[in-house]
Amino acid sequence: MTLEIACPNCGARPHTEFAFGGEDRPHAAPDPATEFERVFYPANVEGPQRERWYHALGCRSWFVVTRDTRTNRIG
Amino acid sequence: MTELRTWAPTVTSVLASAGACDRVGDLPGACRVSPGEVALVGDVSEAAVAAAVVRLDPDAVVLDVSDGWGAHSLEGPGSREAFARLSKLELPVAGSLVGEVAGVAVRILVDRDRIDLLVPSMVSAHVRERIETDCAELLR
Amino acid sequence: MTPEPLRFEGREVPVLDGDTVASALFRAGVRTFSRSLKNHRRRGLYCGSGECPNCALTVDGVPGVRSCITPAESGMRVERGRGWPSAEHDLLHVADLAHTLMPVGFYLKTFIRPRFAWGMAERVIRRATGWGRLPLDAPAARTVARHARCDTIVVGAGIAGLTEALEAAEGGEQVLLCDEFAIGSRLAPGPTLDAVRALETRARATPAIQILERHAALGLFDGPMVPLATSDELVQVRADRVVVATGATESHQLFPGNDLPGVMLGRAASAMAALHGVPVGRRVVVVASTAEGVEHLRVLVATGARVVALVPAAFVDEVPHEAEAILDGELVEARGHGHLRSVIVREVGERRRIACDALVLSTGLRPRDELARMAVDEPVRLVGDAALEADEPWLGGGYLCLCEDVALHDAEQAWAEGFRSAEILKRYTTATMGPCKGAMCGHALACFARGRADAGDARSGTRPTARPPLRPVALQTLAAPVHEVIEKRTGLHDMHVAAGAALGWSSGWKSPIAYADPADEYRAVRERVGLMDVGTLGRFLIGGRDATTLADAVFAGRVVDLAPGRSRYVLALDEGGYVVDDGLLCTLEDGSYLLTSTSGGAERMDARLREWAERLGLHVHLLDRTSELGAILVAGPRARDLVGGLTEDPIDAASLPYPGHRELTVAGVPCRAIRSGFVGELAFELHHPRSNGPKLWASLQRAGRDLGVSPFGLEALELLRLEKGHVYLGQDSLPDDTPVKLGLARAVDMTKPWFVGKAALERLAELPPTRRLSGLVFEDATDGAGLRGVPLTVGSAVVGRVTSAERSPVLERAIGLGWIRRARDGFPDELRAGNTVARVVPTPFYDREGTRVRD
Repeated sequence: MTLEIACPNCGARPHTEFAFGGEDRPHAAPDPATEFERVFYPANVEGPQRERWYHALGCRSWFVVTRDTRTNRIG
Repeated sequence: MTELRTWAPTVTSVLASAGACDRVGDLPGACRVSPGEVALVGDVSEAAVAAAVVRLDPDAVVLDVSDGWGAHSLEGPGSREAFARLSKLELPVAGSLVGEVAGVAVRILVDRDRIDLLVPSMVSAHVRERIETDCAELLR
Repeated sequence: MTPEPLRFEGREVPVLDGDTVASALFRAGVRTFSRSLKNHRRRGLYCGSGECPNCALTVDGVPGVRSCITPAESGMRVERGRGWPSAEHDLLHVADLAHTLMPVGFYLKTFIRPRFAWGMAERVIRRATGWGRLPLDAPAARTVARHARCDTIVVGAGIAGLTEALEAAEGGEQVLLCDEFAIGSRLAPGPTLDAVRALETRARATPAIQILERHAALGLFDGPMVPLATSDELVQVRADRVVVATGATESHQLFPGNDLPGVMLGRAASAMAALHGVPVGRRVVVVASTAEGVEHLRVLVATGARVVALVPAAFVDEVPHEAEAILDGELVEARGHGHLRSVIVREVGERRRIACDALVLSTGLRPRDELARMAVDEPVRLVGDAALEADEPWLGGGYLCLCEDVALHDAEQAWAEGFRSAEILKRYTTATMGPCKGAMCGHALACFARGRADAGDARSGTRPTARPPLRPVALQTLAAPVHEVIEKRTGLHDMHVAAGAALGWSSGWKSPIAYADPADEYRAVRERVGLMDVGTLGRFLIGGRDATTLADAVFAGRVVDLAPGRSRYVLALDEGGYVVDDGLLCTLEDGSYLLTSTSGGAERMDARLREWAERLGLHVHLLDRTSELGAILVAGPRARDLVGGLTEDPIDAASLPYPGHRELTVAGVPCRAIRSGFVGELAFELHHPRSNGPKLWASLQRAGRDLGVSPFGLEALELLRLEKGHVYLGQDSLPDDTPVKLGLARAVDMTKPWFVGKAALERLAELPPTRRLSGLVFEDATDGAGLRGVPLTVGSAVVGRVTSAERSPVLERAIGLGWIRRARDGFPDELRAGNTVARVVPTPFYDREGTRVRD
């Protein structure tokens, strides 16, 4: 499989250069009442999902991408 | 026939804000690793570079990190063909980029048929062996 | 120069220029090329395009070679596969006579009891149905793997493919055009071949078109990516668009006797006659219902055979006058015993028997659209014959799937048993599951199901899913781009090799396990001084104005009060409160930090630091110094004597306290010395420029000779740290371990307003801990051998597992670590580990006060 991901610094690269960082759950001001839910109950959408990727074998920067979890299409 | 040469590069790492990195990003031998990092390959005056960046980013880090890098160069006709056996990346005619080669994050400086691969010294022997094995018939 | 003859089952078979293995054998009179899988029926040349299984032979020891598309080479060793004692005289042909005892799916209903008989049955079945023996002692050949990139890849270099490639190149695209054969090599001389050659000349003159002949496309993957394989190369082509111009096969029709040797498709017969000069028979019946069929008819008439042509009435003027024409006739049956002898034809309502030795069928086309059917969302286009609508197959009888020996009546039987869709019929009968993967029979299977399904049941007649590989491919070819683990080495690697150290894999690094006897090495560290290469540890520079903010966020403990020159053990957690990695944080003179991490966790730690810098919008500078810095651990009661003798800088307890660090010049090498407690003795980690490592190591060895210095490796390290009860993340820890479970709560400061994982730890603190890592003493064991990984039990219940175990010379018994689950009334402290009693004891086992480390 050769999914391509567009790193904002380096451009489109094969997904094997990246590490997946999970659903993007915005880091809000710490509120104990909601923090547990935020961490342990991800939305897990079927459809476009905002998620974090790390360009491990490239510029080593983190960025957010929207990927459709049904089709693997990004953007 | 492609020539493979292994050598010990001189590398200076500049970690600074994007604006400060812009000031040194176009120097010869510069590889813009990311907005906040420039690797300068070759002899540079650490002091001059530091002076240039510190003005815009007083926290900037400018360090000689030569010990952390090894270099393997492919030069001659067929260098791109050899590269295609090591990586999925598409190379520009000239320029620099960072990406996966032989399974490792490599800083690449390319100028026509000369391709310089800067690899972390801990995997330098591994990359050399991989080039020798995968590109055997292409190397002089 | 005439090639040397082939060696075929004890005889020599001459080879002419341009011969395939099949054409050479056919010319020499071979008609049975293989025996079918189940019933061992004779099979002869059929498709001529490498798609059916009939011509598969063992060539030079390699089984499954399609001889009809394999060029014959001097001295090739060729043999047939199935058949005992031989393919020509095969006693296992009794299977065909007994086939009513082996109906479709019979092996799913039999071979159940007695169970012991299965072993014997399996051996017999394997011998009877295998393709041949694998040449296990053949030398491994070399396969090259490479990547290629283009705008458009065109698969298939026939007329349609060449035309598409030229158009795309004219449009400014970079085009890769591939074909599994050499362009035009499968065409007999005629108008088609002329057209191909003209287009080929133009394509070869176009620089934007890269042509790869003899490269078979294996499938279509996400990207889109199309892997192309030859016998010694795998090219992974990444394109923006894919054009499938793979053409069509001639239709495989189902009628009684359709698998007899002597029954051939038009292209096979025509190529044999025109390309190789071998007539397919003396009395040939040709069924031609397409324009292409008429071309084949002409070729066959020209061989001088007596030809009877069954053609539609509209083609009457196309039939050469030498041939007898039967207009609008229907082929009913092919007859023969071991080879075709006659056919039965229905002509104006009357049956007529025609004696013949070859039946050639050119009755329609089935598109080779598998590549396109593999696409889910990719930009793929079918062109040319590959885009045709397949015709309706004859379903009169005979064999449906040649590879798996599935007859039409087997499919009918399966339908009667209730298997009523193409997909389930495929799985029950195994039709289309053979080497041709449905190229010949997939369409017929789908039409069969569609024809019997209820109207409105659209799904039962769909073609089974197309899957790669499209062509047989050696595992060695698929493995070509796969490489072993990346080996990391420190700057001292060559010295360890020269010293004769036993090296092993540890967290991606090649490291010394032991130099000589690990027991001696352990003793050296406890009693004198030892040296270890710890250059595998992750090292990071954290600088910039927000460095402290980042450290405070990422690490669970307090760091804001860590003064320059001091170091602290730190834990990095993830948002779930689970331990990611541990290390030592050292505050440098200018307020930035040097962080060490575990050898295996360096990449994780790096990613973690960068992630939180980005998420919190912090201005930090992160530099991975793991490669750049070597590190040597000098450990033991005489460590200070050794290092002190090589440096002018003060390293007494006041100048370099524990825990702390400072810059030192040792043997002329600039170092940062960090006091370490991991092995439980006075110890200094000397971090230095990698290139100075060999000099530093050699100097320490030389200077330490009188002190009784010894290098030590991972095996000695394991015992040294175990006696201190130190956790090896990854070995003693589980992925959901929190600091409390690991007994590392001291590294957590819950009074900090926030750190990564704090919310999870707070929530977990409300619950009683369910599991914890504990120190263990094994009462009845002499050493730790065989104890690691053993379950810990109370009665018959498994309540935990031993994660580390060694014999401790200090305690003179086997000790270890293991995790234990909480029971209803608390954590058990007397358990069993296999054959021995395991008692929970507090750790450390050795030097409980830590006085030796703090010296």
